[in-house]
Amino acid sequence: MNIDLSRRGFLKLAGAGVAATSLGAMGFDAAEAAEAAHVRAFKLATTTETRNICTYCSVACGIIMYSKGDLKAGEHAELIHIEGDADHPTNRGTLCPKGSALKDFVKSETRATQPRYRAAHSSEWQEITWDAAFDKMARALKDDRDQNFIEKNEKGQTVNRWLTTGFLAASGSTNETGWLTYKTVRSMGILAFDNQARV
Amino acid sequence: MTTELKPDPSVIGGVPVAPFALLPEPERLFAKRAARFAFLAQSSNLAPYLSFLGDLTQVQARLVPDLPPPALPDAARIEVARAARMPPIDRQAAIADPVLHETLDRLCAAAAAIDMPAPARQALEAVSLAPREDRDWLLGNVLTDTIPADSVAPHLFAAAAAQVHMARIAATLDVAQLVPIRTGICPCCGGRAATSSVIGLKELENVRYAACATCATQWNEVRIKCLCCGSTKGLSYRSAETAKATVKAETCDECQSWVKIFYTLTNPAIEPIADDVGSLGLDLMMKETAYRRGGFDPYLTGY
Repeated sequence: MNIDLSRRGFLKLAGAGVAATSLGAMGFDAAEAAEAAHVRAFKLATTTETRNICTYCSVACGIIMYSKGDLKAGEHAELIHIEGDADHPTNRGTLCPKGSALKDFVKSETRATQPRYRAAHSSEWQEITWDAAFDKMARALKDDRDQNFIEKNEKGQTVNRWLTTGFLAASGSTNETGWLTYKTVRSMGILAFDNQARV
Repeated sequence: MTTELKPDPSVIGGVPVAPFALLPEPERLFAKRAARFAFLAQSSNLAPYLSFLGDLTQVQARLVPDLPPPALPDAARIEVARAARMPPIDRQAAIADPVLHETLDRLCAAAAAIDMPAPARQALEAVSLAPREDRDWLLGNVLTDTIPADSVAPHLFAAAAAQVHMARIAATLDVAQLVPIRTGICPCCGGRAATSSVIGLKELENVRYAACATCATQWNEVRIKCLCCGSTKGLSYRSAETAKATVKAETCDECQSWVKIFYTLTNPAIEPIADDVGSLGLDLMMKETAYRRGGFDPYLTGY
């Protein structure tokens, strides 16, 4: 270190010269050591705070989700709390009663976590795979479209309409998802289509 | 006669916008901080250090009303700073302000009455006797937020004087004139944050305010954002044993640093600087990790 003469004199007067922590340099080493011994028994717990958007409606309130446990360290992360995001311009930290109950929504025992199918005339739900669900939906859509697609109107003009099926999209989706939904649905000729983006 | 009804949607909800900054009120600030230090000292292994800092903070509080007025930034300087997104307080100019040197003089004189260990007293005496050149060096280091690792003790006293001086200047500023400078940088004096706190302000809850280690201004920062590099990616919170702690280390995987965050909403008594020292245990635990401390606090150098 390059210290000019006057400073070297000062450092000597100040008892300085060795790298030390504030407590060490000020002569509180014993307190520091006691605290170090005290915390040795503790382990660090990890919490994660994650920004998200409430899933309920198209107001799209910001939320902060707290989870316990470090996924990156291979631990199981468990949701412990959800609150309004005070930094979010839409809700400034507030939530409606439904939004306030979001944690119960996530933890609900009756929450649908995989596709289920109830056959016609049956009273029982049966769990099916996503592949089976998609196949079933595609089959139903294709059959309906083949049967009811209107290529030309009575004047003989091309209209390519499919009026017997409608599409309801999620209000919590992003603009990008909205765009993709529009492209997918409209290109099949569906006219009854709603993104629920108007509360 | 009919009354004309006009719709006023603003009364619905009525959630206020978080003020950008909360300026310090020096006398109250130091008195409150001193009381918090004294309270924390009642039940801590760090009691001797906390009591000492409590007494030193008491000295800071007592100095405030009697000091001559500091050199304040003029309107033109504030305007230029605003336009360039720079802090209105010129730290370089503050080093040369005779009032800051006067503050250091009075602080050293009053601090001599405090009970302290020999190394601390030796440093205090050296600062008291130091010629102008050495004091400029001390105050210069403190006001550039860089404390040399080999002379922590004398800088602690210089920092205490700088805190008084800068808080007095910051108190005179107009919040409406302040602009955000950069994440983690004080909009009044350009200093680094010591800690941040998630607080409640009347109708507004869970907003985060970073606390300047020097002028004690608290300014609004978006939550879940690293105060060192501004990243919003890879942040997590470490605390001793329980996930419900009121003090946590906000760690950032992008820049490998951490800054203390207090959940003041759960414990309104928390004070950004006093509790920073009071929670030294967390620093000691975080020292064992790969992250380095990003909060600046001249009372906690070397962690």
